Amino acid sequence: MSALLEKAALRPKPTLKRQRKARRATSLFAHGEPLVWLTGGALALSVSMIVGLLGLVIYQGGSTFWPIDVVRVDRTSAGPLMGEVAVDETYRPESSAFAALAADAATRARADVDARGGVERRRMLRTGNYDLTGTHFNWVSDFEIGSETRPDWALVVERTSWGRFYGVPCAFLVDGETRANDPAEIWKLYDEQHGPARERFSKRYRLEQHDMARENRTLDDARLALRAVEIAHGKNSPEFATADREFSATQARLQERFVAIGNEIQSLNAENARFKLELETADGARAKLDVAEIVRAYPANQLTWSQKVGVYFSRWGEFLTDVPREANSEGGVFPAIFGTVVMTLVMSILVVPFGVLAALYLREYAKPGLLVSTVRIAVNNLAGVPSIVFGVFGLGFFCYILGSSIDGLLFAERLPNPTFGKGGLLWAALTLALLTLPVVIVATEEALAAVPGSMREGSYACGATKWQTIQRIVLPRALPGIMTGMILAIARGAGEVAPLMLVGAVKLAHDLALDTQLPFLHPERSFMHLGFHIYDLGFQSQNSEAAKPMVYTTTLLLIGIIVVLNVAAIGVRTRLRRRFLANQF
Amino acid sequence: MTSTSFTGRPRRRLTRRSVRISERVARVLISIGGLGTILAVTGILVFLVWVVVPLFSSAQFEAGSRADVAALATDSQDRRPLAIGIDEYQLVGWALRADGRLTSFRVDTGESLEDRELVAGSQLTASSFSVEGDAVSLGFADGTFRQGRLGFSTEFVSGEEHPELVAKLAGGPLARDGNTLVQLTPEGQLRVQRLAVEFDAPLATGGASRVVRIDHSTRGSSGYVCALDADGRLFVEEVERRQNLLTGEVTSTASQHQLPYAHDPARGAPAFLALGGGGDVVYLAWRDGLCQRYDARDLADVRLAEEVDLAEGSAELTALAFLIGKSTLITGDSEGRVRGWFTTKPAGATTSDGSTLVLAHELGDGGAAVSALSASSRNRVVAVGRVDGRFEVYHVTSGDRLAAARTPDESALSGIAIAPKEDGLVTLGGVHAAHWRMDLRHPEAGLTALFSPVWYEGYEKPEHVWQSSSGTDDFEPKLGLVPLIFGTLKATLYSMLFAVPIALAAAVYTSEFLSPRLRAPLKSLTEMMASLPSVVLGFLAAIVIAPFAQDVVPMLLASVVTIPGALLLGAYVWQLLPAHYAVRFSGKTRFAAIFFALPCGALAAAIVGPLLERLLFAGDFLAWLDGQSGSRFGGWVLLGLPAAGALVLFAMSRFVNPAVRRISASWSRARCARFDLAKFAAAVVATGAVACAIAFVLDGLWIDPRGSVLDTYVQRNALIVGFVMGFAVIPIVYTLAEDALSSVPSHLRLAALGAGATPWQTAVRVVIPTAMSGLFSAVMIGLGRAVGETMIVLMATGNTPVMSWNMFNGFRTLSANIAVELPEAAQNSTHYRTLFLAALCLFAMTFVFNTIAEVIRQRFRKRAYQL
Repeated sequence: MSALLEKAALRPKPTLKRQRKARRATSLFAHGEPLVWLTGGALALSVSMIVGLLGLVIYQGGSTFWPIDVVRVDRTSAGPLMGEVAVDETYRPESSAFAALAADAATRARADVDARGGVERRRMLRTGNYDLTGTHFNWVSDFEIGSETRPDWALVVERTSWGRFYGVPCAFLVDGETRANDPAEIWKLYDEQHGPARERFSKRYRLEQHDMARENRTLDDARLALRAVEIAHGKNSPEFATADREFSATQARLQERFVAIGNEIQSLNAENARFKLELETADGARAKLDVAEIVRAYPANQLTWSQKVGVYFSRWGEFLTDVPREANSEGGVFPAIFGTVVMTLVMSILVVPFGVLAALYLREYAKPGLLVSTVRIAVNNLAGVPSIVFGVFGLGFFCYILGSSIDGLLFAERLPNPTFGKGGLLWAALTLALLTLPVVIVATEEALAAVPGSMREGSYACGATKWQTIQRIVLPRALPGIMTGMILAIARGAGEVAPLMLVGAVKLAHDLALDTQLPFLHPERSFMHLGFHIYDLGFQSQNSEAAKPMVYTTTLLLIGIIVVLNVAAIGVRTRLRRRFLANQF
Repeated sequence: MTSTSFTGRPRRRLTRRSVRISERVARVLISIGGLGTILAVTGILVFLVWVVVPLFSSAQFEAGSRADVAALATDSQDRRPLAIGIDEYQLVGWALRADGRLTSFRVDTGESLEDRELVAGSQLTASSFSVEGDAVSLGFADGTFRQGRLGFSTEFVSGEEHPELVAKLAGGPLARDGNTLVQLTPEGQLRVQRLAVEFDAPLATGGASRVVRIDHSTRGSSGYVCALDADGRLFVEEVERRQNLLTGEVTSTASQHQLPYAHDPARGAPAFLALGGGGDVVYLAWRDGLCQRYDARDLADVRLAEEVDLAEGSAELTALAFLIGKSTLITGDSEGRVRGWFTTKPAGATTSDGSTLVLAHELGDGGAAVSALSASSRNRVVAVGRVDGRFEVYHVTSGDRLAAARTPDESALSGIAIAPKEDGLVTLGGVHAAHWRMDLRHPEAGLTALFSPVWYEGYEKPEHVWQSSSGTDDFEPKLGLVPLIFGTLKATLYSMLFAVPIALAAAVYTSEFLSPRLRAPLKSLTEMMASLPSVVLGFLAAIVIAPFAQDVVPMLLASVVTIPGALLLGAYVWQLLPAHYAVRFSGKTRFAAIFFALPCGALAAAIVGPLLERLLFAGDFLAWLDGQSGSRFGGWVLLGLPAAGALVLFAMSRFVNPAVRRISASWSRARCARFDLAKFAAAVVATGAVACAIAFVLDGLWIDPRGSVLDTYVQRNALIVGFVMGFAVIPIVYTLAEDALSSVPSHLRLAALGAGATPWQTAVRVVIPTAMSGLFSAVMIGLGRAVGETMIVLMATGNTPVMSWNMFNGFRTLSANIAVELPEAAQNSTHYRTLFLAALCLFAMTFVFNTIAEVIRQRFRKRAYQL
């Protein structure tokens, strides 16, 4: 529209004959072209900021699982290195950087670098083998390199502990005897044995983590029951004596179970200890790795494209379904995904009914006036209160006051160890419910307001009561709007971290909040959260360089979840709008 | 029953019971649920206030029992008490008499429990007691000294095993059993309190004459004792105490160091001797107020560091005590003044250890002469007793008087002692012992301590400091909220400086100039950005952006100029297009061109930045910031540039443009455009020149720009936070501002265009003024978000609570501080409540911004409705 008008304004007017010179309709300066460009530049800048940010996360998060070649670098002045290139950059070497080289090599290198304007390329190799070398990464500048190769049989080995191992296979051992020496044969044997060994390994893991833990919990419960009797009746009462006898019986029975499980674990370990893969590192050291401890191994430089895709997706699979290992910097984030989902679900179960009730009250029942508009301002205001303030409230009120009272009433036998009197899933969900309440109230109110008054009046005219009208006419039409509010609340809740740091998110939670143990949902447990996982890995990790890929993928996952939720909300909103448009006529 | 409707016909149908019931139930439920939810929400504010209020409540103080202690008589000099103490349950007190006997008594009745010679067979001539703990050192007439412990031992026994004690308790909860006091606890146990005294073997001071004054201190594992003998010799003894692990036998050895103290017979012996914590400073003070401070860091070479007058004029120094930590001296004089002194290290100190003793605190407004002083073993609290029977309790750091009272008999107080748990006080005036219960609440966090500069121990002057925890025990928590509020404001300022212009400009372009087909997707994209988790932004800021930015600071600074420059240049070149092309391409093509100008600007910055770095900052900007290299000139050019730009802009719009408008009326479009381009080039050159001129003048005045907004570069700094916070703030401000702009009725726009205004004129003179309040409220909402943002500032600043406007330095905000410290704060401690106060401050700040925004928005809505 405006463009058209502008065109009209610029078109030369039919000149009158009297007027010799055509007066320009508008001065060029009036168009303010430079300022328009500045405003456009601001828009372009913000668009490129977000596109760049998303692009960075998608690129880094998407590419980190892709298997890359293993490079072997023979340095002129130090031992050889072998590993994957993690960073590739240029820098300006100081003169001390050449000190390690031999004198003539140093002069040559310096001359080379100077010829390139003092800039040199350097790469950071992920060389792994932390148990042998004590480092995960090594920098290597191009001038140090004597020769660079990609060995055919360089294996990338991901282990359950100590991080990655890079080496060339030199033997496959069964019961200490060498079964194969040739890399191809070793690889074949490894392939055969790895599956069964891993199965035994995970069986052992299950025994340790589930069966053993279950028995431990039974023992704990028995101990707590005994303590409860002690609190109720005193230590010298007959009740206590009976309970004590029962406890001893349980303890004895469990002891047997412990021994049985222990034996089973021992035999699995013994079987697994038979198979070892011997690898030679770049500098000639040899290491025997338990086959069972190897999560994944592949000869990186021989992989075909389809095998690479296989490794890529197998890593994603592990990432999404497995538990973290190596201080969260390897393995998966399943507990964090699970924690986020369960916490968000509990939160929405809490927030939606109350939000809808409040909105119904404000819009349908309360008499409009000063009070209602004050409340509305307060609700809008609440939406702007910093999330950390909610966290402070959650910690102070839910955990310390409500939780401690619950502990005192119901879990006295566990004191002084808090049950509810600390951060936990329920308190986190409640805190976030308060945080997202304004979102739901505002969205629901808008949806309720959008239901045409004529429909309500029609309903009343037919003799329906207020509640019948709300129930059958208003709510169904407002449902998409309420859904939008809920999805937006979930998106906000899923991405919020600051309050969770105070009310229950932890670095590592062994027990999921939802499991097969009665009563299935354990609202008092601490939980892992994707957002907190990012904070913890990216900010507090000991080995932040090794954790980087993991943070990017977790970030990608979190952003993915939130974008999907937002897109869903936008989708619902457009459908809602369309429906109303259709109803206007 | 049937009712009649207004038509006169009887109603045939009644509302079903169930419907009526459900109607009522629904009404009640919804009202309760709705109101309850809203109330719960206000409950947040109420709860925060409820937790915070005790911080400001004044100390509780009430009189307990009073009794006469017969063992202490005032008539004889020998039975005068030298020191008194009380146990942690405030049941038993002790007093050391001048004749060397120690007496313990029941606090409630004054009944004597035990009266014994402290050390048998030696004549006690000097004594000193620790502020914290129960260490004691005594000096004797034979020139020896002993170290030991004087305290209470508490034993819990069960009543079943000691029926004789239970029998004694028949009369009440307290009973005397020999020299112990037995109490029945609420848990049904018996608590036996006994005075525990233990002394090591005597050690020689180095002289054989009487020890006149003594004090002790510890540093690490070795102890120090300072003793003055009657011959005027001053020794510091380094005492090594070894305990045999098998026998438990303790052997002590002392090595002597005599201090260069010259005894002046005319002046007499000093009245007070004090050995500082760590044994590295010795104070000698005389009645007339003279105080000599000896620097004893190196015991082999002790020097007199300085002489200070602790009581001016005719006043006499009557009391002297250390506060916990043994660094702050509290003095009381005959004119009733109570003052706190400690050493600081000012820049121009001429003393041997580079520090001077300063008067930091004046406590109270004076009164009768001070006769007793006692410091608390937990806090920087001191109790002051006076000769008229009045006494006060002060918190030294804040200077607040926590409590004041007067003993009923108004006798001069000879002793005062604060209970170990700081929940009680015992005063001794003559033979009258009085017990007082007190609850000091939170003495270290009053309004003054939280919000005004406080003179902390060792600081040169009163300052705002936030330092809530430390590794050492005698550490004083410094709970000044101002640095945190400052950090919050700094974060907000820098992020708003970046975000607001961009967001508003982008909103204007979107609603006024962007082709409608691009509008919807761009808007949803930006809205999506609003829900990006801030932890992601924080992580990217800390891991990616901050390290990257550190390498390219000059380029980043240059891009602030070159990117707008490139856009302007693009616009002036665009004007060269013939009119019909310009109009035809004014939609997507122009936006694409604008998009193209951005990387051009960045590229220019990449070239110009390092160039300027070499020219102005000796090739290394970060080293220049650090003050290592380069001249002041470059910094002033950098700082002068914005001012110069504004100046040139002003001159252009005020003088040049009107003139140009007059003379260019008859010019062709192409000529105008060429002239405009030239004008732009001239303006750029002029800006540079003006900036250089400003820099030249300021450089000539020898003012260094470093130390203000330019100072040492820290990797995680305000600029990074400002930039990254932009990701969080821009979408909010943009969305709200765009909504406000597009809700301006289109007839206004059409009328303006119809009257001959250009789109730009329409936007600036019609649309923006109409939407102004909407834009303002958008900015306010963005401000609220920036104030409360936690994760970004937590991860992308160094979290150091410093107060400087330096844009290359970190800071600590209220929100990040809460996130870091609240999990570690003990429930209901001062620290915990102070963090709640921080949360309340945040709440209040955002509340103000949001309410302003809301009120303005309501007005805007009304006005937009009228249009």
